[in-house]
Amino acid sequence: MTPGNAPPLDGWHWPSGVPAPESLDQTRAGGLHVRYPRPDAALAPPLTSVLREAQRRLARRLVSEIAGVLDKAARRFMAELDDGVPRGAAYREAAANASLSAPMVREVVKEMAGSWTGSSMGRLVDADFRDARALDGFVNGAGRQLRASGHGLVVHVGAGSVPGLTIGSICRALLVKSAVLAKPGAGDVALTVRFARVLAETDPEAGAALAVQYWPGGRAAHDVWERAVLRRADQVVVHGSDAAIEAVRARAPAATGLVEHRHRMGVAVVDPAAAPDSARHAARAVALFDQRGCTSPHLFLLLADRTRSTAWCRELADHLAALDASLPPGAPEPAAQSAVQQLRGRLAMRKAASAEIGLWAAPDLGWIVVMAEMDEFEPIGNRTAWVVSAPDRAGCARALAGLSPVLQSVGLAGVPPDTEFAEVLFDSGVSRIVPLDRMPFPDVDWVHDGSRPLRDLVRWCELR
Amino acid sequence: MTESPRPAASGRPAEVPLSPILGELVHRFNAGADDLDATTFNELALRIHDAQRRSNPVLRRYWEDAGAADPDHWEAIPPVPTAAFRDAPIVTDKAEAVFRTSGTTSAGARRGEHHVASLALYRAAARGPYRRALLSGLTEVRVVALLPHPRAAPDSSLSAMAGFVADEPEVVGATWAFDPDRGVEVEAVRRAATSAREPVLLLATAFALVQLLEALEARAIPLPPNSRVMETGGFKGRTAEVDRATLYGLAARRLGVPESHVVNEYGMTELLSQAYDGAAGCAAADGTASPLSRRVHRFPPWVRTRALAPATLAPLPHGEPGLLAHFDLANAASVCHVLTEDVGETMPDGGFRLRGRARGAETRGCSLTAESFLRAVGARS
Repeated sequence: MTPGNAPPLDGWHWPSGVPAPESLDQTRAGGLHVRYPRPDAALAPPLTSVLREAQRRLARRLVSEIAGVLDKAARRFMAELDDGVPRGAAYREAAANASLSAPMVREVVKEMAGSWTGSSMGRLVDADFRDARALDGFVNGAGRQLRASGHGLVVHVGAGSVPGLTIGSICRALLVKSAVLAKPGAGDVALTVRFARVLAETDPEAGAALAVQYWPGGRAAHDVWERAVLRRADQVVVHGSDAAIEAVRARAPAATGLVEHRHRMGVAVVDPAAAPDSARHAARAVALFDQRGCTSPHLFLLLADRTRSTAWCRELADHLAALDASLPPGAPEPAAQSAVQQLRGRLAMRKAASAEIGLWAAPDLGWIVVMAEMDEFEPIGNRTAWVVSAPDRAGCARALAGLSPVLQSVGLAGVPPDTEFAEVLFDSGVSRIVPLDRMPFPDVDWVHDGSRPLRDLVRWCELR
Repeated sequence: MTESPRPAASGRPAEVPLSPILGELVHRFNAGADDLDATTFNELALRIHDAQRRSNPVLRRYWEDAGAADPDHWEAIPPVPTAAFRDAPIVTDKAEAVFRTSGTTSAGARRGEHHVASLALYRAAARGPYRRALLSGLTEVRVVALLPHPRAAPDSSLSAMAGFVADEPEVVGATWAFDPDRGVEVEAVRRAATSAREPVLLLATAFALVQLLEALEARAIPLPPNSRVMETGGFKGRTAEVDRATLYGLAARRLGVPESHVVNEYGMTELLSQAYDGAAGCAAADGTASPLSRRVHRFPPWVRTRALAPATLAPLPHGEPGLLAHFDLANAASVCHVLTEDVGETMPDGGFRLRGRARGAETRGCSLTAESFLRAVGARS
């Protein structure tokens, strides 16, 4: 599907009661054109007042009831993706939007949908609250009564092109009874708009508390609109680059709470002798999302000598090659292709100059495995796995110390998850330590960038 | 699938057969190289390639690994990406100078280095083209460079070239009006311009030119008639980008230099030759100045340019945009075939039209980009 022959995707879903947009703009998002209401500060008051009204109704419902609504909507959403006519069209649309392959989008969304079910939502509430009933009314605590609730109107600013990411964010906010105005990342428009429509069809009252609106970020022409929206938010959740976060900070009023999720990266620590399947798991973790997730591993620290590491790299390369069929890579933008060409040529030159560099690469731009010293490493993405041989755990810790500002997940394979090593990783800034095969898809109650998913979204009141 | 590792390169090459070729190139470039037809170009390219292969074991292995050990045409020689200049010296002889990239595109990234074995060759490659593009029809000119003096920036290929220009016989004086810390020295430009009776040739990066023109908002500096501007380079994230038409419009209003007298130079640290999109002050063949949108860059005859498909690096037909790769014979002492990140389309007459830079697309999700990574963890060199 290309912008040339596909109809433009509608990049918004407004609840009923909001006047239809008077004029639309259009832009390219991945392999699709997306049209969206022209950002106009005059639109912000009617849109946000409808959302606030809906939030007041949502707040009267029990959290368990909302979890049930989300469960129903998620199942209907998945059924629509799987069984819609023509078959597979919805996945192909989302894939074109995200510049991923359709099999990849199917795999990713199926996994993510596991955290949108009623039972997962219940687990999340139970994990984050000692007494989940505090979300419905005052409950007795230690010498006091406690009440918690989401902020009235939350603006979610998504980034990038991982499909389904915004839906998870929306579900969490609705679960704690906030209304949501979601701006999905450019590559996550198709699924987010579809989910909003399905939710409104499933439960009009809950659906009325959700608006989706895409507009391209970083444009001076949208400054007034963005300020108008952010001024009306009680809380802003922003996923994005440092530049995107700084732009939101600069526009949001000082009194508005910000929850920030910067771009981060994952690392794996592997003892190949103790984990015969580690190369296969590593390949899958690298391939998923075409390595665009904050949970995606870019660097593999191998507790092995050079000979064993070289053999493991070959295994990893073989598995990555095999995944070309089952999880084919997407069609990256020319800019990304150019970046990979530059990297490949650069690594080839380094390899020609040094015996320390090992390089395995697909004949096309599909994937790269690089074996190098730690100071060579930089995360490039597009299925590029860097492998560094480390003598022992202490060597791993030294390697990770320099990465602490950007670390998020560490996957372990063949390395016992003992608390002693976990302490070392924790000191390096790591917020999630999991088996390598579970690295790509976090559990619903994961510690997201060091914070609790729901607790960041609520305000508390105590009665003594 | 390609595989490694392999033994390291060891020691300097025993034989450096390039010197006679470098001398021949200087001679050819000074003569204009109008006899460089496709056959002659190919023969020369293959001779240089053979010399580079013999002299530089790293390049030899690079080409062998790419499956092109013994090409029979210059197009079959795998290009070296500009990023490779960041990692290891690519030089087949002792370097007389080392030029470095500005390092502003990727915060924290290593700067690219071009080890230049012959400054005489660089001057010979640059001279004919800049004389045609910038000095045509002038008997006297004053140079005002919004660049550091070559002595203050010995690693700047652009300053070195501006130094060559300043040495030309038509040049009656040169002012260097850029301080690396303070930026453009506007008053120095004003003094030089107002005292000039002859036309002024303003040499500037696009970034510095914007700085100057913004500073002149309240008080313009009308340059003498027939003055010219050469602007080069992008903005590389250093300021809000200004499109070229706006920039040239500002130059007309604040310097009195019409669009027909403003020329864009396309050059880079990694190439010793430059392309220009016209000759300042010279009308096109039909008697009109070429509109900005239709301008075409042209290298001298010793450079061949192709547009390559970003995914496969297969050559694209004329008119189809792709990544530009240049084969520059002036790079005989480093590496001739260079793959850039610039997007453009080639023309049947050998020119090319620039479309911009293959950068900045938001294809990432929530994973870190290399630029953010380098910014966060700091430069490690």
